[in-house]
Amino acid sequence: MKTAVTTPSDGGAAERADRPGPASGAGAPRRPGGSRVRTHMAHSPWAFLLPGIAVTLVFNLYPFFATIWKSFTDARTLAPGTFVGLDNFQEMLNDEQFWIGLRNSSLYVVVVVPCMVLLPLLLAMLVHKQIPGIAFFRSAFYTPVVASVVVVGLIWVWMLDERGLVNAVFKTIGIGPVKFLSDQWLILLSAMIVTVWKGLGYYMIIFMAALGNVPRELYEAANVDGAGPVRRFWSVTVPGVRNTMVLVAALSSVAAFRVFSEVYLMAGQDGGPAGEDTTLVMLVQRVGTGLSGRVGYASAISLVLFVITLVLLLAVFAAERRDKK
Amino acid sequence: MSVPMSGSFRRRPVPLAVTALGAALSLTALTGCGGSGGGGSADASGKVEGSITFQTWNLRAEYKNFFNDLIDRFEKKHPDAKVRWIDKPAEGYAETLSADAASEKLPDVVNVSPDLAYPLAKAGVLMNLSKDETAAKAEKKYMPEAWKGNEMPGLDGVFAYPWYLNTGPMFYNKRLFEEAGLNPEKPPENYAQLFSDGEKLAKKKVAALAATPTIEDFGRYGVPLMNKEGTEFTYNSPKGVEFMKKYKRLYDKGGLDSQVMSSSPEKAGQKFEQEKVAMNPGGALDLKNFKDNQPDLYKYIGITEAPNNNGHPNMSVMSLGVAQRSEHKAAAVAFAQFVTNQQNQEAFARKVAVFPSTKGSLDKPYWTKAGSSPEDRVRVSSAKLVKKAVNYTPAVMTDPMKTVLQKEVSKVFLGKKSPKKALDDAVAESNKLLKQL
Repeated sequence: MKTAVTTPSDGGAAERADRPGPASGAGAPRRPGGSRVRTHMAHSPWAFLLPGIAVTLVFNLYPFFATIWKSFTDARTLAPGTFVGLDNFQEMLNDEQFWIGLRNSSLYVVVVVPCMVLLPLLLAMLVHKQIPGIAFFRSAFYTPVVASVVVVGLIWVWMLDERGLVNAVFKTIGIGPVKFLSDQWLILLSAMIVTVWKGLGYYMIIFMAALGNVPRELYEAANVDGAGPVRRFWSVTVPGVRNTMVLVAALSSVAAFRVFSEVYLMAGQDGGPAGEDTTLVMLVQRVGTGLSGRVGYASAISLVLFVITLVLLLAVFAAERRDKK
Repeated sequence: MSVPMSGSFRRRPVPLAVTALGAALSLTALTGCGGSGGGGSADASGKVEGSITFQTWNLRAEYKNFFNDLIDRFEKKHPDAKVRWIDKPAEGYAETLSADAASEKLPDVVNVSPDLAYPLAKAGVLMNLSKDETAAKAEKKYMPEAWKGNEMPGLDGVFAYPWYLNTGPMFYNKRLFEEAGLNPEKPPENYAQLFSDGEKLAKKKVAALAATPTIEDFGRYGVPLMNKEGTEFTYNSPKGVEFMKKYKRLYDKGGLDSQVMSSSPEKAGQKFEQEKVAMNPGGALDLKNFKDNQPDLYKYIGITEAPNNNGHPNMSVMSLGVAQRSEHKAAAVAFAQFVTNQQNQEAFARKVAVFPSTKGSLDKPYWTKAGSSPEDRVRVSSAKLVKKAVNYTPAVMTDPMKTVLQKEVSKVFLGKKSPKKALDDAVAESNKLLKQL
């Protein structure tokens, strides 16, 4: 068989000449058994794609469309339910827990996202330098990412307890005990701290990759122009990693809006004092699971959650586009 | 070599082998979402044969040998029947059942409590034992109260065989009692004593309890929980408001753990183990855990009945239901009856420190004549109480309704609502949820 070598200069002509079938022209030489080979080669992409398509259909698209459909029904865990129009959405407007969930999830985004964008960047700048022993610090900062959120959450619960480690330290300096786990706002704040602490390492790695792409000449030029560290940060580093910052903002805002584990562990399954620490995902879990789960109503909340998340993403990207202009 | 791209392959038919592969993959994926198929065998009459599954609720770790022996004996008695035992953890058990039931894969014989049995029975997933001649014959073998414990409001019939009963002892820390100037041999017997002792403990910066009051507490205090028909909650009565006011006072005095509003039974247990609270409800397993893992704490542990104002302690009922869709109902019913027969119930009760629900069992010396150990005394006194115990948790009270009560109780503690307003709101919301069931 002829070996085709495609070079940029020949515009792929050699490759085209080697192709069987109509594309290679009517006068192209035919190989023995070529039609069977052609058939196999033509359909092999589908064979590779089918398992993926099947998995996507069954585990992504079907549940997604089923959730949309169920949000307009009064389905329960053990009953398929009937179409109820917009009743679930109307109920949501009057559901105190929905508004509490929306408030807490939104607060999470407002507080956590700026931290997730700025702190990992600063951390990445710290460990970006090649100095002896830096690998230890990089690993140390990344360790919380690979730790189980449940284990991490339980350790923090123990540390933030009124008789825990943090309050013991506070006591030595005459503060406290601080009610980290019994005040509704402090519970939320504690959960936010855990989320930020656990996510720092992950985003730090992303920023380290981005920092590697910022041309060193720009820093040198800024130095020559007499720019200090702060000026270099705002005028060189930030523009250099702007796209990554947008990506991190988008990823962390979606994650923050869908927070569950940290708040669940800190506040308990009922969402803290009087349910005041409930987030939207906790509400979906509470309403939609169990033997009497209101699947229809939980689906409606999920749909609202999805729309808000989508809007959040679009807003982040729109802001980025406006900045570029 | 380059791969031919679009243009040539679009017009060609997809080979049969690829189509078959795709179809097979899709079908394989979809069958996982399907049900077990079929509507189950018609009734429990006929030969005891076939392979059935038996699901227990967090019992494997401690009682593996007991159940293996039980199953062996059943299979020897019925050589054509096979039992596959599965055990699910305590946490998330309701979710496990709902997933099984929704996918029509509920085990043939399943361990349930009345509040879990109700939604399953309502959805037609559990077999109505009263309507099946073979299944209903066993009724006379159980204590009438226990049999009635599985009657579901609004549903005609009994949906599970009574298994074991428990009144649920309360543990208290004698050392903390002594430090607060209380008699360690006289734990609170009623709610007046509980509130009084709680305030004394609070003065020593020790919380009496780490849990908010549940519907059982309301019941033990003497609050009427539901109307006779079981169609509406009534715990917002003046008695209920009085109870809430007293609990609020205890909270304000520091008699409840400061994290009580974000607590859970597991967290409350941990607080007790850490000696941060003086009293905590528990079970036989907890006592064994203290004995094995915390011998220092075990020395100070006292066991008593939960405070009670009306002489009727709370009784939790464990039962065995049979899946309506079981393909081998005769075997499933026979096995459920076998596990819950007098001999096996008594053997299990001796092993676990619970109480059998079979008629006459509690009149036997083991439950009537006290030995010398504290456990013996508690067992005999509890057995007396079981006979007049009541299951306070209404079968129709679902988890969301319990959450509603818990939230409103928290609002009282936080001073956001008066006890009357909070209980009125809790009852209104629970009644709304009840109507939606």
